[in-house]
Amino acid sequence: MVGGGQLLLSLLTGLADAAGLFFVASGLTVIFGVTRVVNFAHGSLTMLGAYCGWSLISRLPPTPLGFALGTLATMVLLAVIGAGLEIGLLRRVYRAPELFQLLATFGVVLMTQDIVQWLWGVEDLALRRPPWLRAFVRLGGARFPRFDLIVIALFPLVFLLLWLVFTRTRWGRLVRAATEDREMVAALGVDQRLLFTSVFALGAALAGLGGVLMLPDASANLGMDLTTVTDAFVVVVVGGLGSLPGAAAASLLIGLLQAFGIMLVPRATLALVFVVMAVVLVLRPNGLLGRPPGRGGVLGEVRALVRPAPHVLRWLGLAALILAALAPLLLGPYALAVGTEMLIAMLFAASLHFMMGPGGMVSFGHAAWFGIGAYASAFAVHLLAAPMPVGLLLAPLAAGLIAALFGAFVVRLSGVYLAMLTLAFAQITWAIAFQWVDLTGGDNGILGVWPARLVAGPRGFYWLALTLAVAGTLGLRAVLAAPFGYTLRGGRDSRVRAEAIGLPVTAIQLTAFALSAAAAGLAGGLYAYAKGSVFPTYISLGHSVDALLMVLLGGVATMSGPILGALAYTGLYDVLLSATSLWRLALGAAIIVLVLAAPEGIAGGALKLWQRRRPA
Amino acid sequence: MTAAALLTVADLASFYGRAQILHGIGFTCAAGEVVVLLGRNGAGKSTTMKSLIGLVRPAQGRVTFAGADITGAEPHRIARLGLGYVPEERRVFAGLTVAENLDIGRQAPRPGLAPWTPARLYALFPNLAAARDRAAGQMSGGEQQMLAIARTLMGNPRLVLLDEPSEGLSPLIVEQMAEAILALKAEGVGIVLAEQNLHFAERLGDRAVVIEKGAAVWAGSLAALAADDAARQRFLAVGVET
Amino acid sequence: MTRGGPEAPVLAVAGLAKAFGGVAAVAEVSFAVARGEMLALIGPNGAGKSTCFNILSGQIRPDRGAVYLNGESVTGLSSRAIWRRGVGRTFQITATFASMTVRENVQMALISHHRRVWRFLRPARHYFAAEADALLAPVGMQDQAERAAGELAYGDLKRLELAIALANAPRLLLMDEPTAGMAPAERGGLMALTRRLASERAIAVLFTEHDMDVVFGVADRILVLDRGRLIAAGSGAEIRANPEVRAVYLGSGATSGGH
Ligand SMILES: Nc1ncnc2c1ncn2[C@@H]1O[C@H](COP(=O)(O)OP(=O)(O)OP(=O)(O)O)[C@@H](O)[C@H]1O
Ligand SMILES: Nc1ncnc2c1ncn2[C@@H]1O[C@H](COP(=O)(O)OP(=O)(O)OP(=O)(O)O)[C@@H](O)[C@H]1O
Ligand SMILES: [Mg+2]
Ligand SMILES: [Mg+2]
Repeated sequence: MVGGGQLLLSLLTGLADAAGLFFVASGLTVIFGVTRVVNFAHGSLTMLGAYCGWSLISRLPPTPLGFALGTLATMVLLAVIGAGLEIGLLRRVYRAPELFQLLATFGVVLMTQDIVQWLWGVEDLALRRPPWLRAFVRLGGARFPRFDLIVIALFPLVFLLLWLVFTRTRWGRLVRAATEDREMVAALGVDQRLLFTSVFALGAALAGLGGVLMLPDASANLGMDLTTVTDAFVVVVVGGLGSLPGAAAASLLIGLLQAFGIMLVPRATLALVFVVMAVVLVLRPNGLLGRPPGRGGVLGEVRALVRPAPHVLRWLGLAALILAALAPLLLGPYALAVGTEMLIAMLFAASLHFMMGPGGMVSFGHAAWFGIGAYASAFAVHLLAAPMPVGLLLAPLAAGLIAALFGAFVVRLSGVYLAMLTLAFAQITWAIAFQWVDLTGGDNGILGVWPARLVAGPRGFYWLALTLAVAGTLGLRAVLAAPFGYTLRGGRDSRVRAEAIGLPVTAIQLTAFALSAAAAGLAGGLYAYAKGSVFPTYISLGHSVDALLMVLLGGVATMSGPILGALAYTGLYDVLLSATSLWRLALGAAIIVLVLAAPEGIAGGALKLWQRRRPA
Repeated sequence: MTAAALLTVADLASFYGRAQILHGIGFTCAAGEVVVLLGRNGAGKSTTMKSLIGLVRPAQGRVTFAGADITGAEPHRIARLGLGYVPEERRVFAGLTVAENLDIGRQAPRPGLAPWTPARLYALFPNLAAARDRAAGQMSGGEQQMLAIARTLMGNPRLVLLDEPSEGLSPLIVEQMAEAILALKAEGVGIVLAEQNLHFAERLGDRAVVIEKGAAVWAGSLAALAADDAARQRFLAVGVET
Repeated sequence: MTRGGPEAPVLAVAGLAKAFGGVAAVAEVSFAVARGEMLALIGPNGAGKSTCFNILSGQIRPDRGAVYLNGESVTGLSSRAIWRRGVGRTFQITATFASMTVRENVQMALISHHRRVWRFLRPARHYFAAEADALLAPVGMQDQAERAAGELAYGDLKRLELAIALANAPRLLLMDEPTAGMAPAERGGLMALTRRLASERAIAVLFTEHDMDVVFGVADRILVLDRGRLIAAGSGAEIRANPEVRAVYLGSGATSGGH
C-alpha cells in the first residue's frame, strides 16, 4: 500500500517537475505567441543554459548566493544569445512561410549540438554539490531535496511576474498587439523589430533558467535538447498555444501525472505524456486554455498559385527517370544501395508533402506510417510466412487502415495542434514497438526480412524500388491534379467556401490522410525488405523530422519539391557524414544558408529563377 | 500650394512581387486639407497608401513629409514623424480592449497640435466610451472603424491616410464619421482619403486625385470634378445609369 | 409587391433566433422571399444580418425557429446539404480559393454540383472549363480567368463570388454586402446583372447592403433589422419615410444618397 508520506513525496516531486517544465515551456509559448515561430531550437537554448550555468556556477563560490548569481548571469547570457539568434537569423525569415522558420530553427538545433560538444565535450557534466544543495527535508518519514522546494516556490513567482508584465505594462500590451498584427503595430509608430528581439531574449532567458535549475538533480548532457523541446511542446500545446496560464496548468497536469504515473504503471512512462496530450487534443482541439486561431492561421500558409509543371520539367523528369533506370548498368552495389534508399526517401517525402502541402495538415509524426508499414511487412514474413508481394501489399494497407481510423481525430484539428497529435500518435506507436518485446523484439528489432529471390540482388531490388517509388510518387501527383486533389487544396485555402459549395471537406481530408499514410507505409515496407530488418528507430522523432526536412528543403508549394528535397537531403547527409565529424554543424549551416537564400525551397527557388528569365 | 504642402508624392512606383501596381503617382496634401483618392477597384489607392506609410517599399519616386524624405523608410519611423494610417480592413487588435487599443497608438504630443487623449477621443466617438473595457474583436464593424481612427489619432498625427473609412458602415455612422473628419480638418490635420462612396467624398474633399491603373490621371477640386461630366464619365463611369 | 404566384415561397423563415453568449444577435425573425424577388435586409452594424445569412446557409445552427426552402424544412442542415438544395451565397468577407485561378474556382463549384469530386486521375482542369467561362462572362471576369484568385482586387473578388454562387443553378441567392468596397459604377452594373438573372432564371435573391443607392435602386421589398428584431418592412418609399428607420439607420442621408 502507498503511505501518506509516499503520496506527499510524489506530489512534491510532481510539483518540482511541473516547475521545471513551466520555465522552459513558458519561454516557448511566449516566443510562439508573439513571433509565431515554432522554435525547435528552444531545447537547444535550454541545453546551452545548462552548460553555461555549469561553467559559471562551478567557478563561483559554492554558496546559495553564488548559485543565484550564476543563475542570473546564465539568464542574461542566454538572453543575449537569444537576441543574437533573432537578429542574425529569424528576423530575416519572418516573411517566409512559417514552416520555413521551423526549418531554420532546426538548423540551429543541429549546429548547437556540435558546438556544445566541441566546447564542453561528450561527457555528462554534473554540478559539484555543496552541502546546502544536498540537504533534505523530512516529510512524514520520507526525505525530499530542499533545493526542489526552492524550485517549487519559484514556479508561482515566475508565473505571476510574467503575467503582470504581459497584462500590466505597456511593453506587454505592445507585445500582445504585435502578436495579432505586427504590420499594424509598426504603422502606429512602434519599432516591432525591437519588440520581437526583446521577446526572444525573454524566452531564451526563461529557457536558460530552466536549464540551470535542472543541474542540481540531473546533469548537463547532449541529449537534453530534444527531450526538453518535445516535453515543452507537449506542455505548450496541451495548455493552448501562446497562453501563459495554459502553460502553467499543463505543466502541473503533466508533472503530477508523471510523478503518480511512475508509481502506478511504471511501463507506461515512455508514452504517458503523449497519451495525455492525445486525450486533451481529442477533447479540446485548441488545448486547455487556448483560443481558436484567428486570422492568419498557424502553420501551412502556402498560398501561391499552383500551375501544372512546365513542359521542360516534364522532359527533364523523363530524362532523369531513364537515367535512373539505367543506373544499375553503370553503378556498383554500394551506390545502388544508396540509390535505393534515395528512392524510398523520395516516396516517403512525397507522401508527407501530399498531406502537408495541398492538404494543409502538417505532421510531426509521419514516421509512424513508415514504421507501421515496415512492421507490417516484417510480421507478414515472420507471423504469416507470407511471400514478399503479400508483405509489400500489407504495408500500405495496414498504414492506410490505421490512419483512416486515427485520422478521424486528426482532421478535426489544425495547425500545430494537428501536427502535435500526429507526433503523439507516432510516439505512442514507437513506445509500443519499443516495449512490446514479445511481439516486436523491442530494441533488437526484427531481423531476416529478406526480399524474394528474383529481386534479392542490389540491382533487382533497386529496379523494384524504382518501379514502386516512382509509381507511388507519380500516383500521388496525379491525384493532386485531379478533382480530389483540388478539393483537398480548396479545403485548405478556404474551408468556409469549400463547404458553401458543397465540397465534403472532412471526408476528403480523411481520405487524403489515409492515402498519405498508405504511401508512407509502402515506403516503410520497401525499406524493411531493403535492409532485411525492422527497428523502433524507424518510428523515431528523428525520422519524422527527416521527412519534414526533405519536404521543406525541396519546397512545399511545388509538386516536384519533395522529390528534389528527398534526393538533396539524402545526398547531402551521406556526403557530409562521410566527409566530416562535424556533420551536424555542416548540415545545420547548409540548411540555414538555404533558408536564407531560397525561402521557397529548392524547387521554389529554381522556379523563380526560371520565371525571372522569361517575361510574365 | 506646394509651398505649404505637408505631404508631397512624386513619381511613385510600387510592385507586388513582379507585378507593377503603381506607375508614377504624384500629388500633394497641405495641412487642414482633404485630398480624396478616387478610382475603380484595383486602381491602386490602397497600394498608394501602403507605399506612403512604408508597408510597401516604393521602387521609384520620392515621398517627402513634413520636410523629411521618407521614401523607403520603415513604417515605424514614418509613423513617428506624424503620418497616421487607418487601413481598409481596420485591423484593430481584437484581443485587446478598446482602451488598450488606444494605448498602442499613443505617441508623444507634437508641437503645434493639441494632443489627443482618450478622454477627448471618447467625446468625439461616444460609442467607444461605452465600450472602453470590451475586447475590440466583439465590437460591430462601425465601432471597429471608429476605434481604428481613434487609435491612429492617439499618435497625434499631422496627416492621416484614411483608406475607405465608410466601407460597410451604416449611413448613420457614415454621417458621424464625416463630422469627425471635418473636426480633424478644422484642427489643421491633413487628410488623404481613399473613397468609393462619392456622396461621402464630395461632402468632405477639397481636392480629388483620380487614379487609374496605378497612375494619377486627373487632379483638381471636387467642385471641378462635379462640374466636369466628361471626366466623371470617363474615370468614374458615374451618371451612366439612373 | 411579391411576384411569382401562389405556390410556396422559395424561402420562408419563421421565428428565427440565435444568441451569442447572452447577446441576442437574431430574435424572432420571420419573413419570406418569392421567386424572382429581390429582398433587401438592411440595418445598423451588428444588427444580425450576417448571422441571419449564416443560419440560412447552414454555417450556424439557430437556437429556435425554422427555415423552409420551397416548403421543405432545412433547419439545422449543414451548409453542404443546403447548397445541394439550390442555395448559392456570397460572403461579406470574401472567401475564395487563393491557390487557384479564377476559372478553377468556378470549376470547383461545378465539379461539386455535378458530383465529380471523387475523381482521382483525370486532371481537374479538364472538367467544365467551358461552363466555367460561361459563368465568368456575364460577371465580366472572363479576361481575368487565368489570374490567381489570391491577388484579385476587392471588387473583382465580389464578382468571382457571384459566379461561384451561380454555379449550382440556384433557386435562392444569398448575397451579404455584394457591392461593399466596389466602385460606384460597378455596383450598379453588378446589381443590374443580379436583377436580370433573378428575373430570367426566377431566382429569389436576399441581400444585405449599406449603399442606399443600391438598396433603393434594385430591391423589390426591404426589411429592416435592428438589434436582432425586424422593425420595419415595405417598399423603398415606405422605408425612407419611416421615422424609426431614419433614427437608427438612415440618418439625414447627406452622405449616403438615401434622401
Ligand atoms: N498582396 C498582393 N499581391 C499581389 N497583387 C496585389 C496584392 N494586393 C493588391 N494587389 C493588386 O494590386 C492592384 C491594386 O490593388 P489596390 O488594393 O491598391 O487597389 P484599390 O485601388 O485600393 O482597390 P479597391 O477599391 O478595391 O480597394 C490590384 O490589381 C490588385 O489585384
Ligand atoms: N461568432 C460570434 N460570436 C460572438 N458574437 C458574434 C458572433 N458573430 C456575430 N456576433 C455578434 O452578433 C451581432 C450581430 O452580428 P452580425 O455580423 O450578424 O451583424 P451584421 O448585421 O451583419 O453587421 P454588419 O452590417 O456590420 O456586417 C453583433 O453584435 C456581433 O458582435
Ligand atoms: Mg483598396
Ligand atoms: Mg454583416
